Amino acid sequence: MALLQKSKPNFRKLLKIAPLILGVLALFFIYFPIFWLILLSFSAEPLTGVPGGWHFDWYIDMVYGADRREGEAFVGDFQLKEPLIKSISIATLTSVLCIISAVLVGRVLPNMKHQGLLLFGFLVPLMVPGIVVGMAMFLFFRIGLGIKMGTWSLALAHFVWAFPFCLLVILVVVSRLDQRVLEAARDLGASKIQTFFQIELPIIKPGIFAAGFFGFLLSFNELPFSIFMRKGDMTLPIYLWIQSGAHNSSVPLIFALSTIITLISMLITYLIVRLGFKNG
Amino acid sequence: MEILSSKVFILKVTSMDLKKYNRYPIVLFALSWLALVILPLLVVVMMSFLKTKGIRIKWDWGFYSYMKMIQFGGNDVVFQTIRIGLTVTLINFLIAFPFAFWLAKTLKNISFKLIIFTALTVPFFLSPVSRVIVWRSILGLDGLLNNFFLNIGLVDQPIEWLIFSEFAVHLGLMAQYFPSMVWPLYLSLSLIDDETIEASLDLGAGILRTTIYVILPLALPGVVAGVIFCLVPMLGDAVIPQQMGGGNILTISHSLSNYIGSRSYVLGAAIASIVLLVLIILIIILWFVFKPYGGLGKVFGQMRQ
Repeated sequence: MALLQKSKPNFRKLLKIAPLILGVLALFFIYFPIFWLILLSFSAEPLTGVPGGWHFDWYIDMVYGADRREGEAFVGDFQLKEPLIKSISIATLTSVLCIISAVLVGRVLPNMKHQGLLLFGFLVPLMVPGIVVGMAMFLFFRIGLGIKMGTWSLALAHFVWAFPFCLLVILVVVSRLDQRVLEAARDLGASKIQTFFQIELPIIKPGIFAAGFFGFLLSFNELPFSIFMRKGDMTLPIYLWIQSGAHNSSVPLIFALSTIITLISMLITYLIVRLGFKNG
Repeated sequence: MEILSSKVFILKVTSMDLKKYNRYPIVLFALSWLALVILPLLVVVMMSFLKTKGIRIKWDWGFYSYMKMIQFGGNDVVFQTIRIGLTVTLINFLIAFPFAFWLAKTLKNISFKLIIFTALTVPFFLSPVSRVIVWRSILGLDGLLNNFFLNIGLVDQPIEWLIFSEFAVHLGLMAQYFPSMVWPLYLSLSLIDDETIEASLDLGAGILRTTIYVILPLALPGVVAGVIFCLVPMLGDAVIPQQMGGGNILTISHSLSNYIGSRSYVLGAAIASIVLLVLIILIIILWFVFKPYGGLGKVFGQMRQ
């Protein structure tokens, strides 16, 4: 505020507005494609980019297959079931693994020696591009150690990608936790296990939920790690990637599928963010 | 003074008691993390200095893979990726810095702030392909923009460079990595005391001067962190060059897929090592920038999401 009061009036106005305009413009470029995607997925001719002629055909095609309307423009080969099941199961596994390890690490980390270095090491996947970490893991395990890739390596890669986010969420909750409460519980005769399950767990529960959902979402939408760490396994993002790169005619169906994925992801993220802000 | 010392006492007691926590699980976890993530990265750097014969790797140290990469013209791709990455990072910084300052210091409306925070968080959790695939319909030859321009008579022929071009890749990357730039900047800017800025202004420095000599140095850790989280992941982005470059703009991710696909593992390792080198240089800069703030670790401990 002070910055604005001291400057000349007209310049002041500009300074007040400019950052907002810039930021909103950047956010516009993030959200306009998402918004437009949703509109186009209900439109008759999505490829022209002009919404209109509203219908749900692409969604129906996605479920029942486009072959039911033979002779029409878009007949694609769209096999959703297998990738969907694979993605959901790997995401669930990742989410559970993330909760356990993030809680395990997160509540002890602030009291560790060399905690900065440790945290830095855990955050490496956030800084190094996913495709590089994925390739490094592939070269290490497959070429270096000769272990065959499979669903295990895909799940492992997803875990490596999602864990840093979950750890940060847990760290935020733990840093707000008053350690004296735990101290009191111990003084009043609760055992370590009792203290954890009856005192600590309820307090950090929002963080655990958030970490679980984040782990699920990050794994569900993960692509770069999966490129090298999979062996024939088809997850939903990979399926979308291959379909969208093929320049074939199933693009409208991809729009419909992307819309569903995006809306669900947004809803879950919104709920977590609200959960987070409610608790301080 | 008494209150302070009692607080210190409590802190001491709790931290001593917490030391009794079983620390083996986390040590075990950290070691497996080291083996799963850090070690492979080191092995890749090591591999980039090895030689291949056919598809077998030979224990023969040297710069063979890097020479081979230059021979294949792989260095052009690397330089192009780094150039695009630096341009987009600079644009994002120029947009994000005033925005983050406004968010940290000027904006007081809590619910509005909440909306913007949410808007900046949500993109991390969306599917990358879903987010950018629609650009084709907007920027394509018979897409929305070209339709619009043709209709109002601004152009007589569709504009070709809107999609599958360097412009499109820049646009896509900018939108994708904007939140990664805003968050660290916001965190470091919100830690600056309002009084410091006011003092600078009271003492007669203009806005530009205050920004350059007071705000920017104090926010430097956030700036460097922003560059790390924005630039380095961008270098390896696979989705946007494919979706918005359409194979015309080759980046590092293309090379990686090609080399690994053709089993030229050491070449892939060389390219990955270059990306890691960029990261290491930035981290060393960050290390020095953080020194006056009590070290990298302490500030990292304060980082939130």
